[in-house]
Amino acid sequence: MNVLSFFDPSAADVEAPDLDDVRSVTEDMWMALLGEGEALVTRPVPAGSPFDAAGAWSAAVTVTGGWQGVVTLELDEAIAREVTARMLAIPSVHDVHDGDVADAVGELVNMVGGSIKSLMPGPSTLSLPSVAAGRAAFASDVREVCRVDVAWHDGPVRVCVHVPGA
Amino acid sequence: MKILIADDSRVMRQIVIRTLRQAGHGGHDIVEAENGRQALEMVQTESPDLVLSDWNMPEMNGIDCLDALRAAGSTVAFGFVTSEGSEEMRQRAATSGAAFLIAKPFTPEAFDDALRTVI
Repeated sequence: MNVLSFFDPSAADVEAPDLDDVRSVTEDMWMALLGEGEALVTRPVPAGSPFDAAGAWSAAVTVTGGWQGVVTLELDEAIAREVTARMLAIPSVHDVHDGDVADAVGELVNMVGGSIKSLMPGPSTLSLPSVAAGRAAFASDVREVCRVDVAWHDGPVRVCVHVPGA
Repeated sequence: MKILIADDSRVMRQIVIRTLRQAGHGGHDIVEAENGRQALEMVQTESPDLVLSDWNMPEMNGIDCLDALRAAGSTVAFGFVTSEGSEEMRQRAATSGAAFLIAKPFTPEAFDDALRTVI
């Protein structure tokens, strides 16, 4: 997915969210949806490493206004399908359709993005989520300021925050 | 009691219905809308007692739907279920006439507490 940005180019020194806050928001969202016993596990990944799932789903929301940023979520394909099955109470992942995954993954990034928006200066507007099968790719006019690499059932999950500025 | 759930995500509508059940409110009639415009129409055709609406939706968002309902004289109980739980959004929701705002991700307890204010 090519994550397009429509930021105000005059914006400078955009504040970055606190890494611990982003991690906490991600973990809280996950456990609220999947249950207390389904915690995400921290996953050490060297800086600059591309998302390393064999197959992936990705989703993004953009925040514009008092704070500007793009929040993205990338999930391993199998994890995306399993989470979708759990969210929709579908007994077998084999019965999960791509449209279901797109809906579920979009809702996940919407929750993470909405929570991060609430932590940052406002007023601002949250976009509708965009979702794609595949990794997220970023334009050169944004820079990564925050990255959380975690795992669930041995599958990688990544949340990133990008702000304007090369 | 009839509850209209407005959310563009089918996944989230299902989760809201499931959470209502977990919160002890599973016996209500449920109708669903995919966006604010459809919710606006369904308030007329379905006469729900409560609208549970997402904020961010295509076609018409939740706050515009609420404003349109109130402008048309509707007094239907209206609560938001949204990923945006900032104080600014809560104030805007209350000013427009919302009874409550439940922030995603939510718990059955949060639903029960909110629904008790309108039931």
